[in-house]
Amino acid sequence: MNRRLYGALGLSALSAMLVALYMVFVWVPTEADQGIVQRIFYFHVPCAWVAFASFGLVAIAGIFYLWMGAQIWDDLGYAAVEIGMLFCTLVLITGSLWAKPIWGTWWTWDSRLTTTFVLWLMYGAYLMLRTVADDTPQVARFAAVIGIVAALDVPVVIVSVRLWRTIHPAVLVTRQGGHGLEDPRMVVTLLVSLAAFTLLFAWLLLLRFSELRMRTRLATLAREIALARFRAGAA
Amino acid sequence: MNTFLAILRKDLLLELRGGRSTTALVSLALLVLVVLTFALDRTAGDGPANAAGALWIALVFAGMLGATRVMVAEHENGCLRALLLSPVDRAILYAAKLTASATFMIVAAAAASTMAMLFFNLEFSGSLATLAVALTLGALGFSALATLLAAISIRARGGELLLPLLIVPLFVPALIAGVKASAAALAGAPLAAAREWVGILIAFDILFVTAGYLLFEHVVGEE
Amino acid sequence: MAAAVIETHALGKTFGLTPVLQETEFKLSPGRGAIVIGGNGCGKSTLLAIFAGLVAPSEGYALVFGEDTRRFGPRYRRRIGMMSHQSFLYPDLTARENLEFYARLYQVSAPREVAESWLARLGLADWAGDRVRTFSRGMEQRLAAARAMIHGPSLLLLDEPFAGLDPDGVARVGTLIKSALEEGCSIVATAHTPFGVEGAEFEVYEIVRGQVVPCQEEDAPRRGRLRSLLRPRPS
Repeated sequence: MNRRLYGALGLSALSAMLVALYMVFVWVPTEADQGIVQRIFYFHVPCAWVAFASFGLVAIAGIFYLWMGAQIWDDLGYAAVEIGMLFCTLVLITGSLWAKPIWGTWWTWDSRLTTTFVLWLMYGAYLMLRTVADDTPQVARFAAVIGIVAALDVPVVIVSVRLWRTIHPAVLVTRQGGHGLEDPRMVVTLLVSLAAFTLLFAWLLLLRFSELRMRTRLATLAREIALARFRAGAA
Repeated sequence: MNTFLAILRKDLLLELRGGRSTTALVSLALLVLVVLTFALDRTAGDGPANAAGALWIALVFAGMLGATRVMVAEHENGCLRALLLSPVDRAILYAAKLTASATFMIVAAAAASTMAMLFFNLEFSGSLATLAVALTLGALGFSALATLLAAISIRARGGELLLPLLIVPLFVPALIAGVKASAAALAGAPLAAAREWVGILIAFDILFVTAGYLLFEHVVGEE
Repeated sequence: MAAAVIETHALGKTFGLTPVLQETEFKLSPGRGAIVIGGNGCGKSTLLAIFAGLVAPSEGYALVFGEDTRRFGPRYRRRIGMMSHQSFLYPDLTARENLEFYARLYQVSAPREVAESWLARLGLADWAGDRVRTFSRGMEQRLAAARAMIHGPSLLLLDEPFAGLDPDGVARVGTLIKSALEEGCSIVATAHTPFGVEGAEFEVYEIVRGQVVPCQEEDAPRRGRLRSLLRPRPS
């Protein structure tokens, strides 16, 4: 892959992340209600944004793969699932770390966390398929279909879970933490953090994507060697 | 249309001649219900809600194993290849298999809901129309997913393990909506009270039947 | 010269890292019969599957009726009939029901009558109402032949059509093949050893290192009249 792009992306991700870290831990004022713990919000939300956006990318890659058949789309989709899964896990972990001091429980079935959890399960199923099944274009097609179907499902999940939670608010008070951002510095910090995480995602995606492209190239070479040996009668 | 009917008719005929889809679905659902009646404290909490939950658990588990038989059996006896050889449109094939699977699931749902009402000591006077609507929509949505994913599971290594793993998260919205609508029905509420949930079920069905219809051809073929 | 029924161009198929066919050239003129011989696993079944549009080639392409098999539409599928190791019959349906189903699937007009006539033609009229599960291998193979031809295909792909048949069954199927050829049908059949059909001519090929080549063996001359498995049965 283009080394310059790779380096530039990595560098900008690093610098954005350093700025974001400074802003989150030093610059932004502490939130009145929740105290220091609320700072997790500036990591939690960007991770969620990345996880969901990545899912959309998987679906788009899937559509292109089914349509054009070029392996590059499958490699992109696979890379996006892996990185997306990483960030999805981070959403759940940061959500859990946040929930404990605020609500006293490690896990809550709040609508956003529940939706993210379902997303996590879908990612997991996709990864299981790729891990367990063989590495063929047919399996790649299956994965593309699953990616598309799962992405179509996400809006329905969001709607149904939200309806589910509003009718049964007994478990917890509706989530107020951090969404009323009174201080403009909080908004800025959030935006910077979003940018930093997006760059980080792009960099990681590029990294994984180039690995998969190389793997594809190796597989093609292996096939050509096998074919040449077959032709020479070695088989 | 003729080919759709021919395939559907063939599947229904085969089922009557010992296809075992319906028996598998019904017996699995009943077994799960039995386990749940022993495992749950039926006196505690909301009767209709418990019954609705137990019913849908039973149907989802039964469905994971039984709803795919229409596809798997076709593949095992080698006739899936004959269907793919023929000029039949893959989407029509999907529609026919989906309809057959949904039919068997609806039959199982009817049996299971009767049992659930008995086991949980509920009145039969509850809003049965709403219950029927919720179960039918749920069965249709589940079959839409199961038929599409069954094509994957028969071709991929480790496919049988993968199928439940794939279906459950995808089915979550329909599960939530279905349980809520069924609980309302079992508590005697009219259809209007559950209309948001039924709306979600309808949207789910439209979405996944369409998706399956369009995507089936990409997964059902051979190497 | 009429356009070829089948024409391949550098056709290749690799399963994973195992090449089966490579740089295969094959041509079949309309109304001709070809036999492809070879041992197990040499690729003859794969070749037929590619011609039938069931399996996509890894390299190259095959044109059947002038259309690329990867883009096969219903119009072309209707003109192909196939017999394979699997009977394509439903064990729990009767012989009549099986034939009627396939007639309907191929949109044959008057499916019931057509099914009945084929049952008679293959001497299965007495067992029309019996489930295929109760059939002997020979009867099953005969019914499978009827299934393959019931929609009047112009190309027949027969994968080891005589396997497991007794002399009576061999005679019946042989007669069918002969009359199909007489009606202008093209045929590609596979077998372990060349066979002959009285009164019909076949070109014999074999698969050597993944390629279809005319059969070189001394004792199996091209016209395949020797080693005839069939003698006309006194009727």
